[in-house]
Amino acid sequence: MQYQSESRSYYSSAVQGGVDPLERVVRLASGSAVVIFSVSTCCMCHAVKRLFCGMGVNPTVYELDQDPRGHEIERALSHLLGGGSAVPVVFIGGKLVGAMDRVMASHIGGTLVPLLKEAGALWL
Amino acid sequence: MASHRVGEADSGAPHHHHIPYAIPHMLHHPNNSTFINQEGSAFDFGELEEAIILQGVKINNDDKKQPLYTAIRPAATLDMFPSWPMRFQQHTPRGSSKSGEESTDSGSAVNTLSNTPESPSDHRQPPPPPPQMDAAGGIDSPRLSGSHSQPAAKPAPEKTLRRLAQNREAARKSRLRKKAYVQQLESSRIRLAQLEQDLQRARSQGLFLGGGGAASGSISSGGAIFDMEYSRWLDDDHRHMSELRTALQAHLSDGDLRVIVDGYIAHYDEVFRLKGAAAKSDVFHLITGMWTTPAERCFLWMGGFRPSDLIKMLIPQLDPLTEQQFMGICSLQHSSQQAEEALSQGLEQLQQSLVDTIANGSANDSMHHMAVALGKLANLEGFVRQADNLRQQTLHQLHRLLTIRQAARCFLVIGEYYGRLRALSSLWASRPRESMIADDNSCQTTTDLQMVQSSQNQFSNF
Repeated sequence: MQYQSESRSYYSSAVQGGVDPLERVVRLASGSAVVIFSVSTCCMCHAVKRLFCGMGVNPTVYELDQDPRGHEIERALSHLLGGGSAVPVVFIGGKLVGAMDRVMASHIGGTLVPLLKEAGALWL
Repeated sequence: MASHRVGEADSGAPHHHHIPYAIPHMLHHPNNSTFINQEGSAFDFGELEEAIILQGVKINNDDKKQPLYTAIRPAATLDMFPSWPMRFQQHTPRGSSKSGEESTDSGSAVNTLSNTPESPSDHRQPPPPPPQMDAAGGIDSPRLSGSHSQPAAKPAPEKTLRRLAQNREAARKSRLRKKAYVQQLESSRIRLAQLEQDLQRARSQGLFLGGGGAASGSISSGGAIFDMEYSRWLDDDHRHMSELRTALQAHLSDGDLRVIVDGYIAHYDEVFRLKGAAAKSDVFHLITGMWTTPAERCFLWMGGFRPSDLIKMLIPQLDPLTEQQFMGICSLQHSSQQAEEALSQGLEQLQQSLVDTIANGSANDSMHHMAVALGKLANLEGFVRQADNLRQQTLHQLHRLLTIRQAARCFLVIGEYYGRLRALSSLWASRPRESMIADDNSCQTTTDLQMVQSSQNQFSNF
């Protein structure tokens, strides 16, 4: 298995308009091919990051515990997912894939790689 | 008494009818020891009487005796002692060639008939002098007739004496082993009763109440409940597999086969649901594999089987596959490996974080650190859930990739594979660990026969 060095781009706390956290989520999600909302201490988030890196994808990771308005986003995400843990959540090509279980189901089902290719996160 | 060989000869036939009476009669005879003490004709008399007794307890040649014997066969717990049936069957075809074994047989046979033969026999051993008594007991057919016709014949050579002593030893050890086994059974029964009690309590109080206080100590109520449900699931599994097997052999239509395969998938979905509930109540029980057999536990990954290993095992068994199917399954194996790797790394990070928290707990801050550690531990459940999710998805994907017939065979292979792994655990557990018996060949054969018998029992389930 090949390891890729992660490149994370952190957006500073400069918020451009859009007070609604959900809107912010959507905006952030469309900003990159693969977006992961995470908490730096969360081990499941670590697992999902390693999954993508292991596939050769460079995800954009937002550590919500390092964002001043992180807990708002967390609440919004939790709501989006229908309760349960807010992180990790994965967006590919701006579209919501889901939490860890949906990501894994998609990978096993063979739909994750085509999604990644379509979003331009994976070549070959 | 236990060490004496049982001869094949029917020369004692006329005595059979009154043997049961003869036993207590002779043994309580006050002059018994005197007879044995003396040499010459009295001595041979003792030898003859022993022969008569042993003829009496010999089972094979006397049809009349057999029903009596089986009627007073010991209780259910002792019935499970594996050597018994083998020994019965052994008895009839063999002559006095396997003398050691038979004497051990007659030894245990006599022992379990009732208590009466046992105490007198013990009672006969201390009285003087053992060598002479051994000589008296050294019976087989030629010797018996020999003693009849030649009252002055020199009794047992040393080899026989030694053999008899060894047989006695063997019989004694056999008895001890049986006693130990029965004791083990009894304690298991008690433990089972306790477990059931705990289960009842747990049921009435709802699932696992933290701390595992009232539980039997080794297993929490959540774990006990899961074990019970899992064993029921295993029985169901067995049933599903026979259904699959007969369906495949009967060459049912695809439609019918599909119903059966769908049923089997639902059966697997059920176990993942059960495991999900168990992860909530006792994740350690799942992740340490205490619900599985030792052989399965050896290959455990995050509370269950490793999907990529399963696929690796399946690929050669699923032949013939189309090119597309083969690619699909290889791709499935690959993605499963990636997912497993990711989860393993996540779990590793959790462990590291936990270690750091516990290691850094200072004296004044320990409660806080413990609370943090507890919070981290709670994440274990998530990992086991994700691992089970991975397993479930893998099985579903296999179902999608294969034709219905292939899928049926595939699930049958999986079921049989784990069945064999479980059987391996049982065989391993019941293998004879050390030879408690002397190096005498005949005694060793008994042990081997026991092992073969119990292994046959295991395989009969499959």
